[in-house]
Amino acid sequence: MNNQNSNILSRIEDHYQNYGARARELKNEGNKIIAYLCSLVPVEIISAAGFVPFRIRGDVNEPITKGDTQLETIACPFMRSCYDVSLKGRYDFLDGLVLPHACDSIARTYSVWKYTLGLDYSHFVNLPHTSRGPSMDFFRAELDTFKKSIEKFAKRKILDDDLVKTIHLYNENRAKAKALYEFRKSDPPLVSGTEILKILTAGMSLPIAESNDFFNDVLEEFEKIKEGPQKKAPRLMVVGATVDNMDFIKLIEDSGANVVVDSLCIGTRDYWPITETGIDPMDALARRYLDKINCPRTYREKVGEEYEEDLKARFGDIGALSKDFGVDGVILYIYKYCDPFGFEVPARKAYLNSLNLPVLYLEDEYSASSIGRLRTRIQAFLEMIEE
Amino acid sequence: MAEEQKKGEIKKRRHATEAAGKIGPMVKESIGGTVKAREEGKSIAYAFIVCSYDEIIRAMDIVPVWTENYAGICGAKRDAERFLEKAESLNFSRSLCTYALCGLGFDQWREELGKMPPDSPWGGQAKPDFMLSSGQILCDPRNKWYQAVQQYMPDVPIYNVGLPWPLYEDDIEVAEVEGYYIKYIVEELRGLVKFLEKHTGRKMDWDRLSELVDLGERTWNLIWETYELRRAVPTPMGTGDAMNTMVPMVFMLGTQEGYDFFLDLNKELKEKIARKEGVVKDEKYRLLWGGGLPSWFALTDFNYFNSKGAVFPAETTYRMIEPIYRLNIPDTNDPLERLAYRWVRYWTYWYDKAKKRPGSEPDVERLIQYIEDYKIDGIVMHEAFSCRTFHLGLIWQLNQLRKIYKPIPVLVLGKDGGKTKGKRELPSLILESDIIDMSSYSEVDTRNRIDAFIETLEQSKKNKA
Repeated sequence: MNNQNSNILSRIEDHYQNYGARARELKNEGNKIIAYLCSLVPVEIISAAGFVPFRIRGDVNEPITKGDTQLETIACPFMRSCYDVSLKGRYDFLDGLVLPHACDSIARTYSVWKYTLGLDYSHFVNLPHTSRGPSMDFFRAELDTFKKSIEKFAKRKILDDDLVKTIHLYNENRAKAKALYEFRKSDPPLVSGTEILKILTAGMSLPIAESNDFFNDVLEEFEKIKEGPQKKAPRLMVVGATVDNMDFIKLIEDSGANVVVDSLCIGTRDYWPITETGIDPMDALARRYLDKINCPRTYREKVGEEYEEDLKARFGDIGALSKDFGVDGVILYIYKYCDPFGFEVPARKAYLNSLNLPVLYLEDEYSASSIGRLRTRIQAFLEMIEE
Repeated sequence: MAEEQKKGEIKKRRHATEAAGKIGPMVKESIGGTVKAREEGKSIAYAFIVCSYDEIIRAMDIVPVWTENYAGICGAKRDAERFLEKAESLNFSRSLCTYALCGLGFDQWREELGKMPPDSPWGGQAKPDFMLSSGQILCDPRNKWYQAVQQYMPDVPIYNVGLPWPLYEDDIEVAEVEGYYIKYIVEELRGLVKFLEKHTGRKMDWDRLSELVDLGERTWNLIWETYELRRAVPTPMGTGDAMNTMVPMVFMLGTQEGYDFFLDLNKELKEKIARKEGVVKDEKYRLLWGGGLPSWFALTDFNYFNSKGAVFPAETTYRMIEPIYRLNIPDTNDPLERLAYRWVRYWTYWYDKAKKRPGSEPDVERLIQYIEDYKIDGIVMHEAFSCRTFHLGLIWQLNQLRKIYKPIPVLVLGKDGGKTKGKRELPSLILESDIIDMSSYSEVDTRNRIDAFIETLEQSKKNKA
C-alpha cells in the first residue's frame, strides 16, 4: 500500500468514524448547518440558500435510551436511533432541520424533533403520495413554500442561477458516486461493499463541493487498483431503506460474499438519479424527488394488464442492476415497523424470483446486536447459493 | 399473555346508551349487505374511513367495504389471529399495521379458495370492483395496503386519492399555502369521480352530490352538538360508547340513516341529562381518552374504568368532526371544493389556537380545550404497537402538556418550610397493546395499571388545594 493510498483510506475512515466533524468545524467558522433525514429532502435548495446540508445518521452501536423518553418504541428503529443520538447532543452544531413526508415514522414525529431539539429553523416538506400531473404541480408549489421559508431564515433570495449551479454540483457528485460502483463490476470486485458504503455515507456529511473533491480523490486512487482485496465469492445485492452503518454489509462480506450493488437510500436509490438540466430548476427538482427516486412511499400507478408488468415497472431498476452487476442473490433487508417497505416484501420477492434470483428476506431492528444475530441465516443463504 | 383470552371468550361490553347498543346489528347488516350487493351486481369499493370521499361514493350508489372496519370486527370477535398468521405466512411482517395484515390474510385466503374463508366473521368481506387508497399525510398502510392486495387480485383497479394538509409550522400561516392544497385536493377528487364513472359506467349526478354534501355538513354539526352534551355532570355517555357511535359518524357519512342515528342519540342524551342519569351512578373521575385507537377485543376495559367510578366524557379518537360554521368554508357551488375545504380546515382547525400559547402545538391545544370543556381529571391514551399513524407522538404530547399546562391547584412546600400555592399537571396513563392483535394484550396487567392510575387520581384529588 503506497502512501497516497493509505492517505485516502484514512480520510475515508476519518470522515466515516468522525461523522459530522467537518460540519462542526464549518459551524465554528460561522456557517449554518441544516440537518435533514432521508433521501427526499431537496438538499440543493438548502445549499443554494448558503447553508451546509447535513444528513443525520444513526448509530447501530448506541443503545436508544434518551430518545425513548420522548418517542414511542413502535417507530422505525433507524429514525429512533437518529433521533436518540441527536437528542443526546451528538450533532449539537445544528442550526436547523428539514424533514420530508417520507413515512409515518418521520411525518408523525416532526413536532417531536422540532420542539425537543430546539433549533432555530425547521421545515416539513410535504410530498404527495403519487407522482401524476396534479401531484407534481402540488409538489412544485410545496417546494416554492420551502424555498420561501428557507430564504426567510437565510435573509437572502435564492436566484435561479444559484439553484442551477447547485444542481450541477449535486449532479456531479451523483455521477462520481455512480462511477464508484464501476469498481464492483469485476469478479472479484476491486473494492468491497463495506468500503463503498463508508465512502457514500461520509460524502453526505460534507458540503457538496468538498464531497465532490473527496469522491474525486477516492476515484483517482481507485483507478490505480489492479487487484482488490476481495476474493471470488457469491455476488450479492442488498435491497432496503437506509443503511448508514457498515456493520450489516461487513457481516455479509465477512460471511463469505461480495456485496456488489444495492438498492438502498445511501446507495443507488438516492445517488443515481440526477436532476434534469436545461429546464426550470424548481420543476427539475420536483421531478427528481417525487418521481425519479424510486421509494416505496411514492405510490406507482399500476402499469399494464398483467401483474408481472406492474412488478417490472415498479422494480425494474433492481432487475437492471442485478443484471449489470452479475448478481447471484439478493438480501431484502427491511427494518421492523417499516410500513412502506414492509407491505412490498411479497411483491419484491415475487419479482426477484421471476428473475431466478434467490432472495433472503431479513427483518432487523437497527442495532449491532440484532445484526450479529443474522449471521447464521446469511451463512445458510450463501451455502444455498453456492450449491 | 394472550392465553388469558381466546376466541369464543368474548365478554359483551355494557353500553350506557341505547343508541350504542344498536350499532352491532347495524355493522353486521352493513357487512352482510356488501356480500348481498356483490350478488346483486352492485359496484363495490374497498375504502377507508375519513377520506373525504364518503358523499362521492354514496352519490354514485357505490357500496363501500370499509376494510379497516372488517379487521376491527375480526378483532372484536377475537378471530383475527388466523388472518394475521395467513398474512405472516405470505411474508408480511407482524410489526406492520394489523388492520392491513388481517385484510391481506383474509383476501388472499378468499381468493385462494374462490369463496369466503371458513366461518368468516359475519359472513366475510365481499370482493370489490375497485379499491380507493389514500395515504393522506398520516397513514402509510392506507397508501400501500391495496397495492399489496393487488398481488392476490390483480384485476381490481386502484385509485389513490391525494389528500394532504399542511403540517403545523411556526413561520407559515395556513392561509399562505391553503390555495394550492385546495386546488390539488379538488383535482384529486375530480380524478376520483372520473375513475368511478369509468368503472361503474355511470355518470355523477352533481346535484345529488351537493345534496349529500349538505347532509354530511348537517351531520357534522349534529354530531358536534350531540357530543357536546357529554359535558354534563354526570356525563351521559362515555368513550366506550363513542367507539360504537363512531360507526355512523365515519362509516355512514352522507346517508340519512347516519344523520337520523345522531338525532336519536341527541334526544337520548338530553333525556338522560334531564334525569341526571350518568354512565355510572357515582361519578368520581372524569377522564379524557387523549389518543390512540382502542383494543377492539378489550372494550370491556372501559367498563372496568366505570366500575372504579371513572368515566370518559370526551375523546380525541374518532372525533373526526368540527362544527361546520367554525371552519368558515367559503361560498362555492362546487361540492368537491366544499369537501376539500372541509378536509383541510378540519385538520388545521387548532393551528391558530396553538400559535397563541408558547410551546403548544395543535394536538396539545386540543387536549387542553377538552380538559377544560369537559372538566377532566386525568388523561388516558393507548399505544397500539402496530399503528404508527395514531400512536406516534403521544408520549411527547403528554410531556409537552405537562410543561405548559398545570391546572391542578396544590399547596407545595416552599424553601422556607411554609406551604405556598402551586399548580400541578393532570395525571396520565398510556396503555400498551394493539388494535386487533391479542398477543400483545394482558387483561391482568392492563387492569393492574388501571388500578394504579385510579389510586393516583384519588391522591391527586386529595392533594388539591
